[in-house]
Amino acid sequence: MRNDPELPFFFGADNGLFGMYHAPASSPRRAVLMCPPLGQELIRTHRLYRQLAQALAAQGVAVLRFDYHGTGDSAGNSAEVDWNRCIGDAVTAAGELRSRAGLDRVVAFGARLGGSIALGAADRARFAEVIAWDPVVNGDDYVAALDTMQAALREDADRFNVPRSHADVAEQWLGFDIGESLRKQLMGLRVAPPNVPTLVLDSLPADATPRWEHLVSRRGKVAAISPPTPWNDLRRLEAAILSHPLIQAVSGRLTEDA
Amino acid sequence: MMREEAFRFGRARHLVGIAGVPEGSAGETGVIVLNAGLVHRIGPFRLHVELTRQLNAAGYPTLRFDLSTLGDSGASGGGLTRTQQVCADVDDAMKLLAERAGCKNFVLVGLCSGAQNAHTVAASDPRVSGAVFLDGYAYRTLGYKLRHYLPRALDPARWARFLRHRAGGGGTDKPASEPVFAVAPAPREEVIADFTGMVGRGMKLYLVYSGGISYCFNHARQFRECFGKVMDHPAVTTSYRAETDHTYILTGDRARLVDGIGGWLARNFPPATGRHA
Repeated sequence: MRNDPELPFFFGADNGLFGMYHAPASSPRRAVLMCPPLGQELIRTHRLYRQLAQALAAQGVAVLRFDYHGTGDSAGNSAEVDWNRCIGDAVTAAGELRSRAGLDRVVAFGARLGGSIALGAADRARFAEVIAWDPVVNGDDYVAALDTMQAALREDADRFNVPRSHADVAEQWLGFDIGESLRKQLMGLRVAPPNVPTLVLDSLPADATPRWEHLVSRRGKVAAISPPTPWNDLRRLEAAILSHPLIQAVSGRLTEDA
Repeated sequence: MMREEAFRFGRARHLVGIAGVPEGSAGETGVIVLNAGLVHRIGPFRLHVELTRQLNAAGYPTLRFDLSTLGDSGASGGGLTRTQQVCADVDDAMKLLAERAGCKNFVLVGLCSGAQNAHTVAASDPRVSGAVFLDGYAYRTLGYKLRHYLPRALDPARWARFLRHRAGGGGTDKPASEPVFAVAPAPREEVIADFTGMVGRGMKLYLVYSGGISYCFNHARQFRECFGKVMDHPAVTTSYRAETDHTYILTGDRARLVDGIGGWLARNFPPATGRHA
């Protein structure tokens, strides 16, 4: 096998999980697992995740990007996405990264629900630290926001010539089938503070309700990055989310540790 | 269960793609799906994943991949124009699928800029025996303008709004959605000549246009208005889906599109064994 700096592969049970391993030029000194968000946010942040992975690899960090079951290039349908399985996939991916990088200490990064998954998996995956970008900490609010956007989508004149029926948009969130179990799981989601150092990168609008105090009260901190990220703007639903400040913030945090 | 395989491939090992090769599919027509706009190879709302897996189940080898500099693919270097780069990338993709599945002939599938890229390659590469153009080239015809403007011109409410707006000295227009995808125009005569050449050498074409491009296309008749009599050729199938958006955000629309492509393939490129009929 050639030593490609960026290697796509499948791993995990039945080789059903897709991963992209970014190997640094020399033996890695640190390792970062990048947990993606779900749904359209996964697609919108794909480019940024790649840019961040490349920036970290250039700093000597081994990076694994991956897709959960039912998302991205991994096996499974969108309706099969399950919260507990996402956590389990993150644990599996952390093991894969340890094996490939030859390091035990793994830092997790995640945006939105990817941050929530990283926080939720922190104990089982033995993350040394979690860096969460605008993580979802209150599932009720998140589900309500998605439901609101999905309802608006039904009659979005920029997208459809005539409004669609309620049945046409049912049981979906912004392009993806949504299983009843995931909806319930997310509605009950309350992210608890992990037992590891946590850095929350906050780019939500100033009036957004989720605040992070409880997450970082013990061993963490919040850093603001700007400009605010338009996560919930229906008009930008298919526009990539790019953020140089985010890359700088994560790279900078890992440099502090070097 | 058939497993997909991930590849880094290409003349500079700069491309990334996922191949699905069903058992016993050696030598079948291979289906290659190109990027839609800047979305990585999984496609808008995972369209390309759903499409390739359904085609795998029907017996077709598939490859969804990222063109140079899109998704996870890097640049190849070499100072090629973008058109040359696209042709070289698809050539790399066809070679990979030929190597993995023994494919000699290929169907290209592309949405929007993907349709444009599929068109470019299909016009010149004899290995391409079919193409699915989703919201590809389109031109505002006289018919389009009549269908678009006439109802508006005859709508009293619209006139009243217009006059109120003028009397009020205008105002700030509602900002339009940010364009995400766009097909750069090519000369219409050139596109017609390409289509004519494609069917002349035996290619099968499937043009599927959505209501999401109503700024330039608004009726099934417009295929004929845009491209002339070549649209009547038996090798050409057209479908206008007025109710859908450009990127098939609703899962029902997406499923119907995928079924439509699968049905078109089964009619035009039936798997030799017919095992998954």
